[in-house]
Amino acid sequence: MHAVPASIALSRGQFAVSTSFHIIWPVLTIGLSILLVVLEGLWLKTGNADYYRHARFWAKLFLLNFGIGVATGLPLEFEFGTNWAPFSQAAGDFFGNMLGFEGAMAFMLEAGFLGIMLFGWRRVAPAIHFFATCMVALGGSLSAFWIMVANSWMQAPAGGHFVDGHFLVTSYAAAIFNSNTPWGVSHMWVAALETSLFVIGGLSAWYILRNRYSAFFLKSLKLVLVLAFIVTPLQIYLGDGSGRWVFEHQPAKGAALEGHWETNPEGQAAAWSVIAWPDKAAQRNDWSVEVPGALSLLATRSPSGQVIGLKKFAPEDQPPLLPLLYYAFRVMVMIGFWFFLLMLWSAWYWWRGKLDADTVGHHRKLLWAWVVSIPLGYVAVECGWTVREVGRQPWVIYNVMRTGAGASALPPASVATTTVLFVVIYALLMVAFLYFAARIIRRGPDLDMPAPARRGGSLLDTRTVREAGDHPAKEAL
Amino acid sequence: MAGGVHAFLAEIWFGLLSLILMLYVVLDGFDLGVGMITLGSRNEHELGIMMATLGSIWDGNETWLVLFGGALFGAFPLVYGTVLHGLYVPIMAMIFGLMFRAVAFEFRENARRKRLWDLAFGFGSLLAALAQGLALGAIISGMAIENGRFTGGILSWFGPFTLLVAIGVVSGYSLLGASYLIVKTVGPLQAMSRRIALWTGWLTVAVGMGVSLWTPLRFPYIRAKWLGPDLFWLMILPIVAGIAFLMFLRSLRRYDEVAPFVWSIVIFAASLIGLAASLFPYMVPPNVTLYEAAAPSYTLVFMLTGIGLLLPIMLVYNGYQYLVFRGKITEAGYG
Repeated sequence: MHAVPASIALSRGQFAVSTSFHIIWPVLTIGLSILLVVLEGLWLKTGNADYYRHARFWAKLFLLNFGIGVATGLPLEFEFGTNWAPFSQAAGDFFGNMLGFEGAMAFMLEAGFLGIMLFGWRRVAPAIHFFATCMVALGGSLSAFWIMVANSWMQAPAGGHFVDGHFLVTSYAAAIFNSNTPWGVSHMWVAALETSLFVIGGLSAWYILRNRYSAFFLKSLKLVLVLAFIVTPLQIYLGDGSGRWVFEHQPAKGAALEGHWETNPEGQAAAWSVIAWPDKAAQRNDWSVEVPGALSLLATRSPSGQVIGLKKFAPEDQPPLLPLLYYAFRVMVMIGFWFFLLMLWSAWYWWRGKLDADTVGHHRKLLWAWVVSIPLGYVAVECGWTVREVGRQPWVIYNVMRTGAGASALPPASVATTTVLFVVIYALLMVAFLYFAARIIRRGPDLDMPAPARRGGSLLDTRTVREAGDHPAKEAL
Repeated sequence: MAGGVHAFLAEIWFGLLSLILMLYVVLDGFDLGVGMITLGSRNEHELGIMMATLGSIWDGNETWLVLFGGALFGAFPLVYGTVLHGLYVPIMAMIFGLMFRAVAFEFRENARRKRLWDLAFGFGSLLAALAQGLALGAIISGMAIENGRFTGGILSWFGPFTLLVAIGVVSGYSLLGASYLIVKTVGPLQAMSRRIALWTGWLTVAVGMGVSLWTPLRFPYIRAKWLGPDLFWLMILPIVAGIAFLMFLRSLRRYDEVAPFVWSIVIFAASLIGLAASLFPYMVPPNVTLYEAAAPSYTLVFMLTGIGLLLPIMLVYNGYQYLVFRGKITEAGYG
């Protein structure tokens, strides 16, 4: 029994809803956990209690965000089996293995130390606590690694061959480190870090604008700025590399991203359409503004490099939703450059000595620019995943298995029902998150919170707890 | 088809998955059980304490399910694809239940009116436990799988036997949850937990005996197994479970604090080992054996080095976390 088109389309819709909602949360989990390591490390090194208070304050947001990430991640793992049973069987030897590794190496590490990191401040020695914070961050980054390995393999299947529609692994090294892995892993990991930086930076700017705890939040803004100095140009480099990988290995996706229809003849440069409206039915752009010759340079680094056009592929082998791909790509790229410019702008102010606690509040334009940038990282991540996943269509495993062949034969009504439930529940979660996050932010940090002693204490020093009359339940508040 | 080495590897993974499932069922079992018990209380302070007993550990407990899913996916892709497809409704119900209870922890902590999230936590736990019971009952009942595809309908899993197993799982998890609360609480809450432990203990054992009588009558593959050469070996398990139940009752009478929890875990472990031994070598009766469903040896070995070697380390740091947060919980709060 094969899946009927309606149930395929519905399963795709359900998966699109569940993945695009889920990815919002791990971004901050991964990035913020690294910042928490930096903050706690700074506290241990300098003894400045403000760093400790920063760690405690941002951890509240981390915890709120984390729970939704766990809750919305669970459906994804199981949807492979429920809605994509033929895909799971065909690819399970490798793909399932990677998800198993993610569970064993990443999630377990994160979960095993999360309690200590959040509630164990006065239950374990500072060094043990710092170790727990590092393990939570390592767990988050490892989960990004394994999930990007699994996804990269769908983009560039390697390390084995398909026998009767079943993938047999011959080399795990080749499958894990397929040609897309370095780009996929680094681009996503840096995206998580970058998005988190601009969330923290933007919220810090908001406090400064409101003239609340300005000196305190200037610290976090400057810390973000230092990291952004490295991260924003790095992400542009990684994005460019990822793009060139696409043109080399997934030419149909590359051509779709640039609205490029005709392969340029040898020795002749391909034009780059800056803005256009690609029309799949007509197999051309309805309109387009072009820069002659530029696409060859962008895609191949050579002035007359050949860029394969979409028409090289039969329409059923071309990605769907061309305008969505075309504009999602552009929005992502623009946000990447905007972050870079905002970093330069702020660095310039800092260099000119304008970022000091007394006067920083006067630079309202700059601070507002940070505030409005809070959601932009998320927008870029969503756009990037749209480019990556919609652009891979019509394949679920690139050039091997069509998406339709990977879907379970489920009654459309069942999939429609669960999809509606997902949409309703996710909308509810989003509203609740924003409501509670706003409450945490309005309440602000506790600047009188005493920091625990930086030295001493044993592996399990519960005596200090009793002496202080403290309780883990209080620490969460 | 299966060479000696490959069959051995497949059996190792069957054993390892049984172990991971057992860890999940016991750990998230008491976790979900506490969740269901919260439905019986409307006292905000009590509810807060009950949730606080789970604050630092619920995520780790649930991660055993994520690990089980991933390991099953890699080691037995055929089972993963067909069983989850066939159990679409219970699996989705479990997911929705687990989602509600996961977000309830932090949302409740931040909310001024906590009732909504109390209910999300309680009913989410109940829904997840019920769905897991239905899924288990459906697997024991057997699933229609032909040529590696599930061929049954969307509601094939439902039936009176499945429902009985689900009741057993719900009451068993409540037993674990109540015994855990005896360890972690004091005063009236502990007294209430003792009462719940007592009657869910009886209910669990009654349903367990009902299921044990019904399965051989109804399913020929179980009958063949139980009345076959393994009979004497298999007999150990109900005897162990029976002794554990008597010890459990005794420990409740003696007002022991930790012993009831330990004995209810023993009851669970004996039942689960019994289940795995009864199914063996089937993974999905009546057709799919673990040998047919297993991934190739290369994959099984690679996964074994990755996950098998990490398993003891995972147990150590998870255990350490329990150790750090040991002791009674007397104040409410997500912690």
